[in-house]
Amino acid sequence: MSGLLLVVLLVPFATAGLVLATGHRSGVAAKGLSVGGSALGLVAAWTLAISRLGDADPLAHVFASSRTVGPPIELASYVDPLSAVMLLLATTVAFLVQVYSLGYLADDPRYPSYAALVSVFTGAMATVVTADDLWVLLVGWELMGACSYFLIAHHWELADARAGAVKAFLITRTADLGLLFAIFVLGERFGSYRISKVMSAIVDGAPARDDLWLPAVLVAVAVIGKSAQVPFHTWLPDAMPGPTPISALIHAATMVAAGVFLVARTYPLFLSAPIALTLLALVAAVTMFLGAAYALFTHDLKRVLAWSTVSQLAYMFGALSAGAWSAAVLHLLAHGAFKALLFLAAGSVIHSVGGATSMDSMGGLRDKVPDTFVTMTLGFGALAGVVPLVGFFTKDAVIHGAYDQAVHGHLVWPWVAWLMLASMVATAALTVAYSLRAWLLVFFGPGPEESAVHDAPAVMRVPLVVLGVPTVLGGLVVTVPGVLGTPPGPAEGDLFHWSTSVLMTVLVLGAGALVLDRYRRRGRDLWPHLVVPHTPVDRLWDLGLVRPVRRLAVIVRAGDRDVIDGYADGAAASTRGLGGLLRRTQNGSVQSYLMVVVVGAAAIAVVAGVLA
Amino acid sequence: MPLWWPLLVASLLFAIGVYGALSRRNAVLVLMGVELMLNAVNLNFVAFDAQLRDVLHGGQTFALFVIVIAAAEIGLALAIVLLVFRTHGHIEVDDLRELADRDEPSRTDA
Repeated sequence: MSGLLLVVLLVPFATAGLVLATGHRSGVAAKGLSVGGSALGLVAAWTLAISRLGDADPLAHVFASSRTVGPPIELASYVDPLSAVMLLLATTVAFLVQVYSLGYLADDPRYPSYAALVSVFTGAMATVVTADDLWVLLVGWELMGACSYFLIAHHWELADARAGAVKAFLITRTADLGLLFAIFVLGERFGSYRISKVMSAIVDGAPARDDLWLPAVLVAVAVIGKSAQVPFHTWLPDAMPGPTPISALIHAATMVAAGVFLVARTYPLFLSAPIALTLLALVAAVTMFLGAAYALFTHDLKRVLAWSTVSQLAYMFGALSAGAWSAAVLHLLAHGAFKALLFLAAGSVIHSVGGATSMDSMGGLRDKVPDTFVTMTLGFGALAGVVPLVGFFTKDAVIHGAYDQAVHGHLVWPWVAWLMLASMVATAALTVAYSLRAWLLVFFGPGPEESAVHDAPAVMRVPLVVLGVPTVLGGLVVTVPGVLGTPPGPAEGDLFHWSTSVLMTVLVLGAGALVLDRYRRRGRDLWPHLVVPHTPVDRLWDLGLVRPVRRLAVIVRAGDRDVIDGYADGAAASTRGLGGLLRRTQNGSVQSYLMVVVVGAAAIAVVAGVLA
Repeated sequence: MPLWWPLLVASLLFAIGVYGALSRRNAVLVLMGVELMLNAVNLNFVAFDAQLRDVLHGGQTFALFVIVIAAAEIGLALAIVLLVFRTHGHIEVDDLRELADRDEPSRTDA
């Protein structure tokens, strides 16, 4: 079994190396290798993961261990049901993205490096979800950050893409410092970097409430950055100039999901320090509403989806902070499926109208791209939480978890829980509104001229249909919550509740009816577009972090030039001056040289005689 | 014969040689000074060889070596003097200062 795990971990990296080595010679070889490699990884991951679902024993294996000072750093893996489902999600979406990219990037000259980076990205995500050592996890975590930088900047001749890539990298790296220091603190405290050991030590040791607040808050900072929550949320929408399949990969299955995964993996740590959960709850409450509000007003299709990702990730953090661990993980999986579907469908729509991402240049596309229309409708339905699509079940489970916490819970402060619940309900209504708006603007009303629109090739439509399956049928998982094994949090009971579901359905119908009514009266101009080029938060970061760092850089540069260079230049100048003195004696008269030699010899002889 | 006689002669010869080498401006006279110094050393070699009754006569052997080397040296040196005379038109040692370290246009960056 550990051999299979090794295949899952190494095949993506090997694929990337082969694609890079052969890609520039033959496009067919690059395509075959990248799709074949991800298919192999997919099969291996499914074989491995299926056997670990439910209450099966987790697979723990140590490949190598270092004997260094301090706790050993071990190449250790740990595959429990949580890792297994994350592996399923990541490898499946990665495979579909590779297939889809065959069509989407068919004529792209940079396809080989793109496909290789997607492979590395998948490998990094597999490393993160199966890692049992905090350092190994950190390596995968940072590798994902680096790959996302390269992939967002795929079209590096566009200033937007470059700026977005740098922004994504810098913001996530800043937040990653939290994880680094959390590793130091945990290793120091528990004498081990093994996640499983640290977590069982926390469970067994039952430390006092908030005794471990420092590592918990540090981990929370890291995941807030990686999952683009307030105040680190601005990088995700700006990452949109990257190729659309990349958005599907980053914003559905891997990078941002890793944040939620890390909290789920280190959940005992958070349970022992509810202060970090309260922080997460506050952040989530603000983020989900803010993201949904931005999604409501932007006119760029990809940005709508990006902001909705921010908002939906906040749902997961909300559920985690409310103790609804299974609901959060299930919502993560459901979101991974339907958001990948939405992004890939959006890519197909953008492809069909010739590359424009603004919804103003779309419209009336439902007859021209029928497959995309059907699947994207399902995706939007799941996002809005329409019965009986997957989003309906998981979102209700999340909201019910928050409700439970607000009424009976003791994890977070009561008013925070109520605030979060209110925010969740309001966001659910907003989600319906922006999903419906985007759906109407893209597929209905007057559209561009007939000739300009062309349907996507089959390789781009098949992944949509495949992702449609879990989007429609995923809700069945809620009826068998045992698939995730025993959750580490408080007992959650049933995940399906009639009361919440009925209320939420009424809410969805009401919000939908309002939007439809407005659409009937005002047409495509539902409400004014709000351009948010620089969010106020960006300005805060600029004032608080970017400018001080720049100023510090100026000071350091001045110090280097005027102080350190001063020493070096002074040494050179004094040497030259001394040399100038000495060269006076080099007057070219051989007889005077000889005179010096003779007088010197005589002097030495006299001194020697005196001393003797 | 006491040892100090030849030593006195040798040191006088050496001093004259040093004086000649240091003070003469004519290159041939400088060379003559050098020869005087070499011969002062030869005198020392021979004097100590006799005084110490060296069975292998190392002093005399060395004196022969020095004579040979002095002959070679004077041949080489006179050739140089001739070349200097051809290129400069004189053999005044004072005026041969091409090797002095002085500022040149190409070395101002140093």
